[in-house]
Amino acid sequence: MTEREILTKKLSSYQFAIADMKLYLDTHPNDSDTIKKIKEYSEKLGVMRKTYEEKYGPLTMSDMSGNKWKWIKSPWPWEVEEVD
Amino acid sequence: MFVYEKKLQYPVNIKNPNPKLAKIILSQFGGADGELGAALRYLSQRYTMPLPELKATLTDIGTEELGHLEMVGAILYQLTKGMSEKDIKAAGIEDYFVDHTAGIYPQSAAGVPFTAAYIQSKGDAITDLHEDLAAEQKL
Repeated sequence: MTEREILTKKLSSYQFAIADMKLYLDTHPNDSDTIKKIKEYSEKLGVMRKTYEEKYGPLTMSDMSGNKWKWIKSPWPWEVEEVD
Repeated sequence: MFVYEKKLQYPVNIKNPNPKLAKIILSQFGGADGELGAALRYLSQRYTMPLPELKATLTDIGTEELGHLEMVGAILYQLTKGMSEKDIKAAGIEDYFVDHTAGIYPQSAAGVPFTAAYIQSKGDAITDLHEDLAAEQKL
């Protein structure tokens, strides 16, 4: 696995965990333990996102760092990743 | 409102294209029990749900289904990438190729184009949720 693939997988697993907890909260909105857990995971995810975007380009169009439109420069997610 | 994230929910990196397999997997994209149907089902039914728990759940799982649709699309794209005329004939997908070339089109494996007739939205929570349970059993 490339460094990018490792980071993407880690990022995706945190996102998946958070998404699943959020689905649970949709029907159990008063579970404060889960809310606490989401906050904890989200903080870690935030750091990962920042690292990812600095290295591999923006994940969303709202990332406007730099003075070039980087959105169209990074590969599209359906393309096979090139081996480093 | 939707915000696109330039990343798949789970990575897809297919090393060996296989157009014959793509023809089967195509049903998961635009077939009767595919991801497009699932996304449209939940995102259409959510408006008339009577409780916030239901509106939230249908909004969130409907959104997630769009993420699934994108992954299945990526699988199809990679399975059919760089097909030669020989590959197309060997895989028996000339009938798809003549209409769409390597484009990803929402249809079933048998070639039936996606239709909203695959889903329902009745404005009644119990009716819609029963449909959702049945639909999930088919996937």
